[in-house]
Amino acid sequence: MFERRLYHHIDFGLLAAILALCAIGLSQIYSATGGWTAIVETQIVGILLGTVALVVCLSIDYRTLADKSHWIYGAVVVLLIYVLLFGAVRGGSRRWIDLGAFNLQPSEFAKATLALVLAKFLGDSRRGVVSNVDLVIAGAVTAIPLFIIAKQPDLGTAATLIPVAFAVAFVAGMPMRLLGILAVVAVLAAPIAWRFALQDYQKERISTFLDPAQDARGAGYQQIQARITVGSGGPWGKGFTEGTQGQLRFLPVAHNDFIFSVLAEEQGFAGVIVALGLYFFIIMRAIQAAQLAKDRLGAYLVLGVLASFTFQVIYNITMSAGLAPVKGLTLPLMSYGGSSMIATLAGFGLILNVRMRRFTN
Amino acid sequence: MASTEDRRRIDGRLTILRWGVALTFGALAVGFWFLQIVQHAQFREMAENNHQRTLALRAPRGVLFDRNGKVLVENRGSLTVSIVREHTKDLDRTINLVSEVAGLDVEDVRQIVERHKGEPAYRPIVVLEDASLAQVAALSARRLDFELPDVVVEEVPMRRYPTEALAAHLFGYVGEASDAQIGDGIATGSIVGQSGVERVYNKLLMGEDGARRVVVNSMGREIRTLEEVPPVAGRRVQLTIDYDLQKAAEDGFRHAGFNGSAVILDPRDGEVLSLVSLPAYDPNDFASGIDSATWAALNTDSLRPLQNRAIQGRYSPGSTFKIVVATAALEEGLVTPDFKVNCPGGASFFGRYFMCHLRGGHGLMDMRHALEKSCNVYFYTLGNMLGVDKIHKWAEKLGLAGKTGIDLPNEQESLVPSTAWKLERTGERWYPGETISVSIGQGQVSVTPASLAVMIATVANGGTRVTPHVIRAVDEGAGWKKVVPTAVADRVAFRPETLSALHDGLWMVVNASGTGGRARIAGRDVSGKTGTAQVISNQGRLAARNSGRDLRDHGWFVFFAPRDNPQIAGVIFGEHNEHGFLGAPIAKHVIETYFAKQEGRPLPTLDPVVPPTPVLDQEIDPDTAIVQVLPAARGTASGTH
Repeated sequence: MFERRLYHHIDFGLLAAILALCAIGLSQIYSATGGWTAIVETQIVGILLGTVALVVCLSIDYRTLADKSHWIYGAVVVLLIYVLLFGAVRGGSRRWIDLGAFNLQPSEFAKATLALVLAKFLGDSRRGVVSNVDLVIAGAVTAIPLFIIAKQPDLGTAATLIPVAFAVAFVAGMPMRLLGILAVVAVLAAPIAWRFALQDYQKERISTFLDPAQDARGAGYQQIQARITVGSGGPWGKGFTEGTQGQLRFLPVAHNDFIFSVLAEEQGFAGVIVALGLYFFIIMRAIQAAQLAKDRLGAYLVLGVLASFTFQVIYNITMSAGLAPVKGLTLPLMSYGGSSMIATLAGFGLILNVRMRRFTN
Repeated sequence: MASTEDRRRIDGRLTILRWGVALTFGALAVGFWFLQIVQHAQFREMAENNHQRTLALRAPRGVLFDRNGKVLVENRGSLTVSIVREHTKDLDRTINLVSEVAGLDVEDVRQIVERHKGEPAYRPIVVLEDASLAQVAALSARRLDFELPDVVVEEVPMRRYPTEALAAHLFGYVGEASDAQIGDGIATGSIVGQSGVERVYNKLLMGEDGARRVVVNSMGREIRTLEEVPPVAGRRVQLTIDYDLQKAAEDGFRHAGFNGSAVILDPRDGEVLSLVSLPAYDPNDFASGIDSATWAALNTDSLRPLQNRAIQGRYSPGSTFKIVVATAALEEGLVTPDFKVNCPGGASFFGRYFMCHLRGGHGLMDMRHALEKSCNVYFYTLGNMLGVDKIHKWAEKLGLAGKTGIDLPNEQESLVPSTAWKLERTGERWYPGETISVSIGQGQVSVTPASLAVMIATVANGGTRVTPHVIRAVDEGAGWKKVVPTAVADRVAFRPETLSALHDGLWMVVNASGTGGRARIAGRDVSGKTGTAQVISNQGRLAARNSGRDLRDHGWFVFFAPRDNPQIAGVIFGEHNEHGFLGAPIAKHVIETYFAKQEGRPLPTLDPVVPPTPVLDQEIDPDTAIVQVLPAARGTASGTH
């Protein structure tokens, strides 16, 4: 299955950028958690297992995987339902399957799986342009895992599925007019959602974002502290493990949701530009992989995987600077989290896969 | 497999995505540039405020020593409880919980917090000074439970005053600086002297508070110290007070069973050996932040314990003033000590009949015997010869008019009238008849115990009006440095015959058949003079009989010893003790203590069993004289005899 010549088509630049970000993330986790801790070890294990997952996803031809995508999709949905019923409860939500040494978070794997199944469905469509029926079916396929994940509840991860669907539909030729209509509907629906759909704590987060000072010690605290953390870093940063905001716990979950703030504090604007540059390079390289893809399936798959990644990166970094409402969305490749790391690297395995096989038949 | 049309569409849409991502990342970079470069200074300061605290380290106040090096006022470690609002989620809840756990009045705590509301939230607000161990234990338990993360317990130095010989009014007390006191090195929340030596020498005693800059974590817990400026303790100050004499005087009052005041000086240089004002307060109550109930009780007490009677109480000097009149007459050269006046038991001046206290009269008296017997007629006569202005002049030279200049706050001026004074005050001229009352220390004369002490010291040392002072030496860091005493206020060398007449007469008061016999000490030649300060006129006494006020007279005893080359002089003022001679035993005890100490003998003790001496009705106090009865024209025989 893995021919020797394919090896030469692996995008080593992309791979290097990915591993560089993993290393930066690891070092900032080391700093934020105060040295060599179990958290650092878990992250290393996550990176290693993720690399294995990447290699596996790279080795198997994506078309073979796409052929099996309905099975994979079915398995993930079953896992999600299982989690909803029997999962480990932490912080008021059921997201994990306790595997002893490891907690598996199936929702992380739902993203790549959704990308795969949508790419297969829309890529196999005989006509060049997607029909409305196709779009409705794609919507339904997206809605099932989204609904289950939202029920856990984990609205953050659920939300990352939406860009997957939109990205695939977008490149698959979804009419621009329809996009516009959906945008208008979303804007009109916002007040209704505010009134009926959102929980009180969610409303609070949003209103706090608009005016953090109204609750400086409660929900607005994290946002204010995030801005202080980033701003106090200055051009060159306070130095590795010298950040006061992260080290002294003024910033909560510094090794997780706010890892980028810790980077900004300790490495300054210079470090931020380096990390932003790496992310930008990865995304551009991936888009290029979609362009080079031999078939629609490959292009759609790359875009689907890339969409949730890009959405999460942009949202998390914006939030890290205190410029977006605080939401439990991690920063892919850098934040602490085994399942997220494995799923993300597996996703990149697919992207590398598509690029590597651009010349095969 | 992909058609070219497909390829074109995908390429187009990917280009849109590329631009979208590029613009978003550009926006992010700009956002970080704003936060980290443009607004960096502001956020750096916020981060520092987050994790750095500057905590004040209270400087211990200077230790006060007595003249022999005995520690009088020192400092002890004390625990204070503060609220740091920065870590407070619900201030009301914290106030209620702290009050409940520590057993404090909620309203008091709320008021304290309210008073400091304008200060930065990280600055601790002290709500409980000198907390007991039980209170601290109870609060710490709640702290550990994270119920009171915003409460801080600190150890700070606190003033400790002696309890046996309190000298409360001399030391004064300390308290938090009022708004008016802030500035000139005194910061909000500083503890400063509010009265007495603590106030006058506050600059020396206060020292400089230190500061500690620490790193705290998000829970407010200290992680490490960045910088520490240790506090500079206040200067050590040596007072002129002799602890044993102070105690002797206070014991004397307790033993005698009345309140009052005593000012004991070294007549040679004006050093105050003892300064008593009773009833007193306990300065220790103030050191730990006086509670409102105690403060209210002190302020509303009809005995006025906060008043320093020694320098703020003004009373008529009574017969002790005869010393001034005698000095004036002799020094003005109007009479010699041999000048004689016949006392028939009273005399008429300006159409009024003024009585002597001895109904039968003293007979022919010279100056020495007139002083010994306190003969009113003799001094009426001298006063009449002198006129009020000469009396005023000599009262001033002896230190009885105006302030003594003692280094204690809020001294009252003593008053001896003059024609100019009356004209200015009332617009009326002086009637010579008024001089007669003045010449035996009644009428408008009103003096503080301290000024009377200066008067007797001036008489004792032969005319040098010393300025009483309580500070002796200061340790500026290089050992004791004697404080140069205030310049002598006035110096008149009395004529030798004046001095011998005064000293003889006052010696006879104590050692012959005078009223001061209770101060007699064999071989010490104690000299003195009793006096009575009328609280109310005889006519007024009848009218106010049922008012509930204490209308009993005050008694004076001024003294010095020994007669020749006196080393100790002073005044005992007995409040409502009715008789000046009742103060004499207090003086005796002080003088005995003084000489016992000087000669290295065991200090005398007061026999504890003697109850306050009952004054027999038939015992006539020559100072309690009825000065004046009705105008002579309406008949001299009055029913008030």
